[in-house]
Amino acid sequence: MAPREYNIVVLGSGGVGKSCLTAQFVQNIWIESYDPTIEDSYRKPLEVDGRQIVLEILDTAGTEQFTAMRELYMKTGQGFLLVFSITSLSSLNELSEIRDQIIRIKDDPAVPIVLVGNKCDLEEDRAISRGRAFAVSQSWGNVPYYETSARRRNNVDESFRDLCRQMIRRDRDAMKAQGRYVDEEPPRKRGSHRDSKGRHSAGSSSKRRQRSRGPCTIL
Amino acid sequence: MAAYLAYPINDVVEEDEDSIEEADSVAGSLPLENGDGRPLSYAAVRMAKRISKTGIRRQSHTRAASSHTHRAVELSLAHSQISPPLTPKGSHEVLHRRSFEPEITFHNYLRAFYHFHPTSTVSSSTDESSITVPINQGDVILVHSIHPNGWADGTLLASGARGWLPTNYCEAYDHPSVRDLLNALTHLWDLVRSGENDNLMVFTRQDYVRGMIAGVRFFLEKTNCLSRESTLIVNHVGLRRLRKGLLGDLSALVKIAKELQAILQAQGPTAAVYELLDELVLKAFKVVIRAVRFLDIWSQDVAQEQPRDVDSADYSDPNNRPLTPPADLMERNDVEDSQPPVQTENQRDGATSPQRDVVSPPNPVPHELPTEMKCRATAGNAFAAQSPTLSAISIVSAQGPPQAANLVPRPLSLQAKRISVSHRLSYVGKGGGAARQNLASERLSTAHDSFLGLLATFIGSHLQSRSGQELAATTQQSVTACRQLLAVVEEVWARDGRRSDPLAFARDVMYAKLAELVQATKDIFNQTNGGEDVVNVEQKAHLVTTTTNCIRAAGECVNKARSVIERIGDFEFEHVGLGLADDIFDSLAPQPQPAPPEDNLSVVEEARTEESSRPSLEEKPLPMPPTAPPQPTTRPPPPPPLMILPASKPLPEPPQASPSSNILSPLDQGMRTMIVESPTALESVRSSRSSVRPLSQLPVPQLPQTDVSPTSSIQSPIIPSSHQFYGRTNRTDSVNTAAETNSTWRNSMPTENASTVSLASTRATTPDRSPIHAQGEHIPNPMMGSFGSLSELQSIISEESAVEEQVLEKTFALELVYNKEGQITGGSLPALVEKLTTHDTTPDAVFTTTFYLTFRLFTTASEFARCLIDRFEYIGSGIHIGVPVRLRVYNVFKGWLETHWQSESDSPALPIILEFAEGVLSTALPGAAKRMIELCHKVADQSSGLLVPRLVSSLGKTSTSVTVFSDAMIPQPNVTKSQLSALRASRNGGPSCSILDFDPMELARQFTIIESRIFCSIGPEELLALEWTKKVGSRAVNVRAMSTLSTDLANLVADTILQLEEPKKRAVIIKQWVKISMKCLELNNYDSLMAIICSLNSSMVLRLRKTWELVSQKTKVRLEDLKAITDVGKNYAVLRLRLQNHVAPCIPFVGIYLTDLTFVDVGNQTTRALPGSEAANGDGKAISVINFDKHMKTAKIIGQLQRFQVPYRLAAVPEMQDWMEAQISRVRHSEQANVQTFYRRSLLLEPREQVRHEQRNSPPNGESHLTKESVGGMSAKEKFDLWGSLHLGGSTKGEKLPPQPL
Repeated sequence: MAPREYNIVVLGSGGVGKSCLTAQFVQNIWIESYDPTIEDSYRKPLEVDGRQIVLEILDTAGTEQFTAMRELYMKTGQGFLLVFSITSLSSLNELSEIRDQIIRIKDDPAVPIVLVGNKCDLEEDRAISRGRAFAVSQSWGNVPYYETSARRRNNVDESFRDLCRQMIRRDRDAMKAQGRYVDEEPPRKRGSHRDSKGRHSAGSSSKRRQRSRGPCTIL
Repeated sequence: MAAYLAYPINDVVEEDEDSIEEADSVAGSLPLENGDGRPLSYAAVRMAKRISKTGIRRQSHTRAASSHTHRAVELSLAHSQISPPLTPKGSHEVLHRRSFEPEITFHNYLRAFYHFHPTSTVSSSTDESSITVPINQGDVILVHSIHPNGWADGTLLASGARGWLPTNYCEAYDHPSVRDLLNALTHLWDLVRSGENDNLMVFTRQDYVRGMIAGVRFFLEKTNCLSRESTLIVNHVGLRRLRKGLLGDLSALVKIAKELQAILQAQGPTAAVYELLDELVLKAFKVVIRAVRFLDIWSQDVAQEQPRDVDSADYSDPNNRPLTPPADLMERNDVEDSQPPVQTENQRDGATSPQRDVVSPPNPVPHELPTEMKCRATAGNAFAAQSPTLSAISIVSAQGPPQAANLVPRPLSLQAKRISVSHRLSYVGKGGGAARQNLASERLSTAHDSFLGLLATFIGSHLQSRSGQELAATTQQSVTACRQLLAVVEEVWARDGRRSDPLAFARDVMYAKLAELVQATKDIFNQTNGGEDVVNVEQKAHLVTTTTNCIRAAGECVNKARSVIERIGDFEFEHVGLGLADDIFDSLAPQPQPAPPEDNLSVVEEARTEESSRPSLEEKPLPMPPTAPPQPTTRPPPPPPLMILPASKPLPEPPQASPSSNILSPLDQGMRTMIVESPTALESVRSSRSSVRPLSQLPVPQLPQTDVSPTSSIQSPIIPSSHQFYGRTNRTDSVNTAAETNSTWRNSMPTENASTVSLASTRATTPDRSPIHAQGEHIPNPMMGSFGSLSELQSIISEESAVEEQVLEKTFALELVYNKEGQITGGSLPALVEKLTTHDTTPDAVFTTTFYLTFRLFTTASEFARCLIDRFEYIGSGIHIGVPVRLRVYNVFKGWLETHWQSESDSPALPIILEFAEGVLSTALPGAAKRMIELCHKVADQSSGLLVPRLVSSLGKTSTSVTVFSDAMIPQPNVTKSQLSALRASRNGGPSCSILDFDPMELARQFTIIESRIFCSIGPEELLALEWTKKVGSRAVNVRAMSTLSTDLANLVADTILQLEEPKKRAVIIKQWVKISMKCLELNNYDSLMAIICSLNSSMVLRLRKTWELVSQKTKVRLEDLKAITDVGKNYAVLRLRLQNHVAPCIPFVGIYLTDLTFVDVGNQTTRALPGSEAANGDGKAISVINFDKHMKTAKIIGQLQRFQVPYRLAAVPEMQDWMEAQISRVRHSEQANVQTFYRRSLLLEPREQVRHEQRNSPPNGESHLTKESVGGMSAKEKFDLWGSLHLGGSTKGEKLPPQPL
């Protein structure tokens, strides 16, 4: 059984350090020099909850000004990592527009999204309080919110993994809805693996899960 | 899981029920439930047990133990046959217990302490290839390997002869002053050795010679003799002459290297090349010999007068020097091997000579086997008592011989704990012959590679829920790999006399991690046996974690082992029967493998269990060093040994009397004897195609005796020989490249010699200035060598001055980092600047352009300018190096000012450059200075607003010529007069035109021209340091313009479609845009193509179901094709491939480059560690230098973009361009041209209810199928959509944010 492939799109305005986030996540510790021009530069095999998947990450860092391309990028994604910098209010505000666009394009209000406040190592320059960012994430249908530091590699893996879990869950739900579902996953202690630092609400995952199931059952 | 369930049940592993049972009996505690009748889990469990720490096979221990004792007896018997070398007299009195750590250090160089002249150089009448070389006191020997019995395979630097020599006649030679030089020689030797395997590319560069030069320079510096004017040199005749000879030899070496380079570049490997390689090696030997002799005299005569002056004072003072302990007093618990020194194959002798093939293999095979066991059983066993006294070299220190000064304070323990042949670890010449496979370093690498690979497979197959069979197989392979890696590590550890603690620790950690992994695997298998289909997720996670830990621990372990190997010398696993790779290969067989031979395993385990030193590891699964001899079936047989000494050959007894009384005339007897008596030595040692000429014309180094004055001891051999030598070289090649370069220059700059003297040095401490000045005066004419009519003496001076310059050349070459391809990947700024201005080679174009392009990222313009000026000054004005380098410095400045100047960032450097040009440069090179001052003023004008057209960077522009078309090739614009007038009319307020009015090709062409104009004006500086992403004050105006234009075009497409009420009209517009985008593709305009396709695929257009129903199938298919090209998946794989094959003109999608540049920037560090600098730095921290690799990558990407920056050869239709720009401008400035507005318009045109599902399923051609499904009432989704559009209507961003909780 070939590992399931998932596409993640990393979005956010320029200068929020999303490329650092991606580079940190994708880069193997054994790599001495990173060449982003090859096909595998943004592919990463990953194990999430005992499931082997391959992540393909589309990070359009550097092309933020090609706003027309954004939709093209969004189309390819099954999950979205929306990144802002905790030092810039506008970077969070811009995400709202991006999130609306995603939902419109995917035609799905429960599309897997993780909100990421990057640069949490720059606490002294913080312009957005955790509470505020968390409120935004709640208003988006309880999407998980992480505060990361790409520089210190804090919560980088966690935020990507959270997104993977959401995508996997949706995948399974969709299969179940179509009657093709085979329960691959053994009973899992819910929330046991989700107590990562940046995560604000342990309960948000279950809420999120219910929400995300809602529209799919209609199919 | 389906795969798991469907796994074949029939594959019962019947082959080894026994071993299963055995495993059961061993690990009886493990449940073996398999009621579901899946036999494969047997195998799996067995595997788990085997790697588990409880899985020691007790019942086989008895067997192993008996065979072990048997072998031990055999060994002790063998021992009695050895007549060991005797300890020279006096060693007992000078015993210093302190320094008696049983330590093996592999010394690359030995120095003969006694004469050794065997009666016959061929030690066995039956075997001519076992050569012993006669050595004379004072000879320096490059050691290739040392056999446990004390014989070493070495090459005499004096003659180039290679053969066996007794190490107890020698002492380690590693004086700190010459260490660099010796290392450089070792490197050169290795290079030549690998060069003989047709790896000659390295000789087209001169780096290896620079190493030698740097070594000599360092040596002279340490001895305070760098400058010819140093008091030492002036006052000491002997040293002066030796120094001269040394520099002369070095000069000859440089010359040979250049010759070699020239030949290689001109015609590739020829016979002449191999001769030159030999010459090269011999000349390098000579240089070292001279240095050694110089050091002898220096330490004797000079260092005692001023012992504290230099770093090496501690060593030069004989009283201060720690005594080398006699080896017979060392802890002799290791075992001597009665075997002949089987030199199976040296790693540097990849080219097998014909003789070697006929040599009979080493005789006594039985003795080979136990060796492995011996080393396992060494610790505290009974052998110590029986082991014969082994003498090592001792020093007659009481006499204070002159050469004592050359000794290092480390205990000389050439024989201690040496269990098998030790080799010098070579860093070059990988793959130089099959024998390398047997070397510890190779084994380690192979084992580690297999380990990593197999563990990855292991973890992969576990996670992917492979069938039980596969699981078992990979598990088994992983176990084997772990074992083999540990076996190698254990072996390395055992060899190390010091019992490296870090290695032991790393190894123990690895054991621990392995144990965890085993446990995790076992858990999983147990669970599987329990009948559950699915492996527990957490267990899997645990498995991954443990595997990762294990891999990490292994990495650490391998690193430590490698450093140990480096210290103790590489050694052969000559008795290891199963090649690691072979074994792994074996276990790749489809069926689960039978257990590896239990005997071997248990034997080893037994041996290890006896080891009292590490009781904690007793229970651990043991690596298996196989004990069978190599299987010819699995691997080609090892090449026959190079040289064989008969088994009975003992080390000779060192002379008992005072060494000096015993001296034979080395030149007359020693050398002649060697040459005459052992012709085969040369033949067999050298590769077959290049045999060394006996070097009768070379001076034989003679150790000065205590009673001989330095002057007398050196004069006779050196002077004549150098005459001879120079005479010869002058005939062949009388002028070197440096002189040639110089001569042309001198014609234009005639005042150079006079002016140099007045140069003010900013580096007063640099000791190399005065001799150069003096030098300049000595040389009447730098061209003199080329006429050959000058006296020999003059030519000597000329040669010497060239090399003197080279030696005195200050260099930062050691601060450069290269990758495997020889490209520079890092370096300090002075080192990079030096590389930019080398005297002997034209700087690499890529390197230079990269430097110009990116230097502002790692330094400032002022810093760069200062560094160049420093380079100009410290290099001096020497004829051979100084002047060419200075010209290059000038050229770098010139290139910078002419083509790479960026006023904003570079202007602070201008005063510095101007000051240099008006000062130092105008004195040294007036003409150049004048030109540079002009250039300075020019760029100053430029920055103050006076526009001077700047030359475009040449990077990537080389392909321009390809695209030059004749005018005839410019296509005629496809536009009619009526169209033109319509365009004009529309501009003047007439009826507006539509894109439908024009030919798609012409529209594409005109838009391409507009876009190309912007694209071609993108400057490289716009692409550096994420300039284009800067929110304010970005200089990347053209990059910005590109993205704006691209966005505008996309909006224009959406606008033209969505402004029409009727679906039919919209369909026609879509068709036209598809046509235009196809033409864009024809024109290689990917940027426009992307924009158009993006827009046609945007949700607002794509959702217009009614419209798409009216679009023809043909158009839809075309659109699909275009979408495939612009697919962003797999990192733009499709687009990248296409771009690779294009020639300019082309407009690539700039976004790709922008993303690449962003990730190169964030994904690569700005600095990198200088390899090997940890030790040099003292504090264990590596020096960090500029990560030039990052900038090379950046420049490469920019180069790729620039490659396409060629204007299109298309005829402009101004009217159409005006119209297009007006349209774009209209869209750009329209309030309506944003995604939200377009989407709302789209909703208005074709309301939501009927099109709901189209948006989620992309292709317009799949539509009809989809519409059938689109039934259903108002869903949550639709409610959301309504909310969304409501929200969009009121669009303010902050609104959505709930009040901030306080």
